[in-house]
Order: sequence, then C-alpha cells, then structure tokens
Amino acid sequence: MSDVATLVTVDPYVCGRTVHSADRSRLPSVLGGDLADVGLAPHLLALSALGEIRRHADGRSPGAGVFAEAARLFAEEVLDDEDPREYAARVSRATGLTAAAVAQAVEDLVTELAELPQTTAAELPSTGFGPGFDTRWVPRGRTFTAVMASNHPVPNVAWAQALFHGYSVLVRPGSRDPFTARRLMRALLAAGLPPEKVAYLPCSHRTGEFLLREADRGIVYGGDSAVRRWQGHESVAVRGPGRTKALLDADPDDAVVEHLAVSASFDGGTRCTNLSAVLTSRPVGEVADRLAERLGRLPSLPATDEQATLLVADRERAERIRRQVVALRAELTDHSARFDPGESVVELADGSFLLRPVVLSANRPDHPAVGTELPFPFVVVAPWSEADGVAPLRDSLVLNLLTDREDLVDAAVREPSVRKVTRGTVLPWTAVPGIPHDDNYTQFLLEPKGVVVRD
Amino acid sequence: MTPVADTEFDAHIRKLTAWHFGEDTGSPFWLGKRGTLGFDPIADVQGIDDLTRFPDVSAELRTVPAQDLIPRGLADRSFRVYDSGGTTGSPKRIVDSGYRSHMLEWARRRLVESGVPEGGNWLHLGPSGPHVIGFDVARYAALGGGVFYTVDLDPRWVKRLLAEGREDDADEYVQHLLDQAETILRTQDVAVLNITPPLLEALCARGELYEMVRAKVRAVIWAGTSISTESLRQIDEVFFPDAAVVGIYGNSLMGVAPQRPAAPGDPHPCVFEPFPATTRLELVDGEGRRVGYGERGRVRLHLVTEEMFLPNILERDSAIRVEPRPGSPVDGLADVQTYREIGDVRVIEGVY
Repeated sequence: MSDVATLVTVDPYVCGRTVHSADRSRLPSVLGGDLADVGLAPHLLALSALGEIRRHADGRSPGAGVFAEAARLFAEEVLDDEDPREYAARVSRATGLTAAAVAQAVEDLVTELAELPQTTAAELPSTGFGPGFDTRWVPRGRTFTAVMASNHPVPNVAWAQALFHGYSVLVRPGSRDPFTARRLMRALLAAGLPPEKVAYLPCSHRTGEFLLREADRGIVYGGDSAVRRWQGHESVAVRGPGRTKALLDADPDDAVVEHLAVSASFDGGTRCTNLSAVLTSRPVGEVADRLAERLGRLPSLPATDEQATLLVADRERAERIRRQVVALRAELTDHSARFDPGESVVELADGSFLLRPVVLSANRPDHPAVGTELPFPFVVVAPWSEADGVAPLRDSLVLNLLTDREDLVDAAVREPSVRKVTRGTVLPWTAVPGIPHDDNYTQFLLEPKGVVVRD
Repeated sequence: MTPVADTEFDAHIRKLTAWHFGEDTGSPFWLGKRGTLGFDPIADVQGIDDLTRFPDVSAELRTVPAQDLIPRGLADRSFRVYDSGGTTGSPKRIVDSGYRSHMLEWARRRLVESGVPEGGNWLHLGPSGPHVIGFDVARYAALGGGVFYTVDLDPRWVKRLLAEGREDDADEYVQHLLDQAETILRTQDVAVLNITPPLLEALCARGELYEMVRAKVRAVIWAGTSISTESLRQIDEVFFPDAAVVGIYGNSLMGVAPQRPAAPGDPHPCVFEPFPATTRLELVDGEGRRVGYGERGRVRLHLVTEEMFLPNILERDSAIRVEPRPGSPVDGLADVQTYREIGDVRVIEGVY
C-alpha cells in the first residue's frame, strides 16, 4: 500500500464548516514519503475564525454528558470516515510513537475526559458558608486558545477541559500530530458539542501565538523557544520541556535501576515527565553504566511491533537528532556506546529510523547539559553532594527523590521551580484526579465569584 | 524561451548597451568595467541571452558613489538616490531622474485595469524616506489627481527589533502606525489603500479601524512582502469583498511588476508582469537555466533603461513561471516567495 494512495487530507474547521485552505503543507511519514496533505490557516483565516468564535462565545458548559459520550466515541467509533485503528496508525506514522504507546494514550485520554467532573471537584475547595452564601466557580474569560505539540496525544485533554468549563476554544494542533485534536473535536461534536464553540486551525507557530495573545486564556506546549515568551504571562499556562530529574542518594539495586530506566524510556521518552537527569551521591560512572546497560537492552523494533517501546522518526528528523547527540557526546562522557554498540540512530526495514537510548555523564551538577531534554530516552547523570543542596534539583516538572534526607524532601517540596515531588520508585506521571501536574489547572480556567442571596 | 519573438527588446538592448558603454554617454561605473568584462559589450551583445555575460554587480551598489551611476549623457538632469530595504545586507542604491515616473504611468494603467479607481485619494501605509515605494505611491495618486496621505514606516527598525527577538516592541510599533492611519481615515476621504501584507493583517485585527477601511476604501493594493494564496483569498473574499484587491511585486532595483488583470483560465489567482519596455524577469534553476512554465525558479532581473543598466541580477525571490498573455512579450510570475537555499536552516528540537 503506497503512502500516496492513502494520503490523508486535513483542513481547518471553523464553527461547523471545513475550510479548504489554499495553503497546503505535506506531513511526512516516519516510513518515508508523505502521510497527509494539510491545509494551513494563515493569519487572516485565524483572525476571521477568532471573530466568529468570539461572537458565539457564551461561557456556558455543554454539560458533562457530552464529554463522557465523546470519550466513548473517540475510543470506539468511526468518526468522519476514520475508525479508531486508522487514527492510531496515523498518529504512529506521524509521530513515531509505538502502536502500544498510542493505544495506551487513547486509553489515558478517554479516562481523563471521563474524569473531568472528579478532577474539577478535586481541584476546587469546598464552599460551605451557610445559607445564602455561595461561591460559584466561573470561567475567567470566554475564549481559549490551545497551542499543542505533537509529542503525545494525551495533552489534548487540556482544551477539552476548557470546553467543559464553558470556554469557546481555538486549537492549533501539533504540526506532526494534527490527527488527535481533529478526532477529539469530531468526537465532541458528534456527542453534542455546539459547533460554534470550536475552531481547529493547523497553522504556523506565529499564528498560534497571535491566537494565544488574543484569547482570554490559553495553554502552550512546546520546546524552550516556543514557550519562553509566555513564561510569567498570567493568561497562558505554559507546558515546556519538563526536565524531570531524579536524586539518587542510595545504593541502586536492580529495582531502582529498572525504575529509572522505565522513567526515562516509557512512551519512547517523549513525555515531558520522562526522566532526563539523574543527580547522584553515588559513583557517577557506575550509576550511568548500569542505566546505560539496562536501556541498551531495549530492542530495536518497528513501531508496529507489540514489544516495541522506542520512538522512530522520519529520515530528516532522525538525522537532525543524530547531529545533536553527536555534539553532546563530544562534550560529555558517553556510557551507552559500551553497552549498545552501533549507531544511536538505527535504520529499520520498514523505512523508519529508531532512536536508541543515550546515557551520558557530566562531572559537575551545574553542567549545562543537565536538564537538556531530547525527544527520546536521553539521560545525563551528574554528581550531587549534600553541599550542593537543592540548587541542582531546580527547574523540574517532576523531581523523584530516592533519599532518606527528610530536610531535602521538605526543601524540594518548598522549591517553587519544582512542580511535583515523588518519593521512592514511583513513575513520574503517576497521579489521581486532583493531583496537580503543574499548578492547579482548574483554578487557572475558573475563578471564584461570591453569590449572596437574601430571601 | 519566450514564445513571442522579443526582437524589439533585443534592439532596445543593443541601442542602450552602446549608450552605457559609449565614452560620452556611459556612466563612470560601467565605463570603468569595460576593460574587465572579457568581451566587447557594444559589438558582442546582440540580445537578451547575451546579458548573462555581464557580472552581477548588485553587491557593488552598496558601496559605489551614487554619482558614478549617472550616465554622462544625462549629466544635465537632476537625479534622486533611493535605497533598497537592506534585507540581504546594507542597502543598495539606485539613481532616478525620469525613468521611474515613466514606468509608473504604465503601472498605474495596469492597476486601473484591475479595478483600482482612476481618481480618489491614496493612503500609503508603508515605507517612505529613502525607500522608493513612497515615491511610487505618491506618483500614482498624483497621476489620478488625488492627494497622497502617508504614514512613515521605517522597515529597518522593524527588522532590527525582530532580529533582536523584540517581537513585543515590533507589535507596539505596528499599533503606533495603525493609530496614525486611524487619525487620517477618521477625517479624510481615502479611496485607495497601499499597504504591506503584515500591516494589512494587523489592520484587520483592529475591529473599528478595519470597519472604517472596509466602508471607505475602494481598492487595497498590497506590496512589499510575499503573501500566501489562502491569505490572498481571505483578503479578497472575506475581508474586502467589495474592494479591488491588487498586488504589486517589486523592489528598488527592478521597479514594479503589478498584478495583471485576471484572465479566464489563469492557473494562479495573482500573476505579476514587469514593465515590458525595459525589464525582463527570468526564472532560473541553480545552473542559471530558465525553468519551464509552471515551475519554480529564482528571479533573475535584466533592467535596461537609459538611466540605469542592471543586467543579470539574481534576486532574493523565487516564483512560478507563468505563460505570457496573448501578445505580451513578458512571462508572468506567480506565488513569489523569498528564495532559500535548501538546508540553510537548522532547527534545534527540544522534547516537543
């Protein structure tokens, strides 16, 4: 089956209408060739979509039933000629995520959709002030923009959550994964979401930024350069590189090494919560060797194989990443080569390029490479001693503490740039509804309003 | 190859090569080059294909004293100096006495053919100062008996802001320009708006200002930067359905190439044509060979006027080559974009 024959057409969708844009772009497949023909929304199309969305924005929630039904449709049904199997294959071919990772992502996404009422309840304080006194949590605005990345499907829940609370939403899908946002929007519409509540706008980052600026609230996912402008911007939630770290202050047994390896390599290392640095009070070289040995055992398999865990990429992207790895290897001590001889990028028989795990070590905790995050299992191990304190642990989305030092645990929890703390062999993304991922997202979307009634 | 025999232009080339390399008539700039060319321009240049024997002198236009560009045969005329925008380095300079006005009369007739009103006042939201476009637009207004309103835009300042990553400052500057446009539009009658695509986008985003322009203006002319096909469709059909929307491609060196009136069966919504009397724009591949119709090539300019001789200049743009209109000696250019060498941008990718 040739890719040309199966080329998917993707187009902007605005308030119930598909707009066949004259500006087209090709989406490459990890297997080579093109996977999709994508219609892009230039600035003026985004502007007119924004105007239309604004005119209809009423701040009313479509109701929890829409989201529960949309979750079911997303996972199970044919939506605009796309069945769940086709959707998963498209995401896999576009992003390089394994079939297993996409299947897991679908499961997680629909679970989070269905859990929106519980998440909301868990993230808002109870308000029992006595008869006549009430707090209503209402949207902080009418319009919401989501600038998505392509590393993983699950973050798309973020804009569905804005819809859930009554916002009208403009979505700029990830450029490598236009499929998840499109399918989720179709599921929501089929479940009863009023069409004038949403716009789907594949577009440049610049146009996405314009929409972020114009909307009342928004969320942006991306690398450092994409999110830097939005740091400290009150109306925009920023989801950048996670820089998830572990502090290993104990002799690692096999279970700990296994835990660190899974933290780094789950979903091919594409999550912002995947481990990217280990700070350790133990001999750095030994720790790095053991991690490299364990990660080196992961097999090089095509994304469709059930046993596959590692990310694949198209030739051009793989080559770009390979060059970055070469530069970093020249700067630091490489531990992977010993256990995983051969190239860090492996050409597979199906035409895709697999990204092998890489473990490097630095000789000081403040080396600039500590915190470098690449979209595949990439870990830098660096020394840590008590004298270094919490400083090398800063700027972490998740900090995994494998230590008995209670004062350090307390300092880490109090450190503003550490967003979540786990202790022991807990995978970084472990959560239940209400556990903050990075601040309280429901309170970012909603604000409390006093309602006082006298009969 | 152009289907219409371009004998008239070849004769024009022979006549003006003799002029620019004549001891009494040529400019110090070209006369100084005559001995270094390796051929005799007067005897050996017979037509357009010989123009590629000349070196591309455009980089020298950054440094050569502007007086040296003035042909001796025109020493009694007054000349003005204009700068290019400096997109590819420090600005290049041209000199102009009467040629530009002559070309603009032709260009204005093309604009009128495309629906721009014959008369009425003009508002120019774009560069003036040393940039020749300010002069051009003032001239169009004057030729139709209208007055010319302008808001000064310094494109070099904007480029500097963007190069330094100061997007917010650049946005603020754009709003400052739009404030001034609003002041004019509130009190003055404006029939034609000449504007750059990024400013037009910003204008459309300001509700009240946009409504004012939509109500007043009968033609929107865009120029200065490229624009995507869908953006053009949005301007034409969504934002200004009642006005003529016309594009002009051009720059300081080549002059202007207005959009030709849409013909039935035109494969592109917007096709540009240069001034046939003096200018040829060829679209060439990496080896300098003309590409076929429907193919994209880099723009190569030949400008042959009494005032300036600019053969064989490789421009920073690429475009799709379109067949000439019946009877026209010049190719059309569609979908003009900034030329990029493949692989000259390296993207550093983080986790996303």
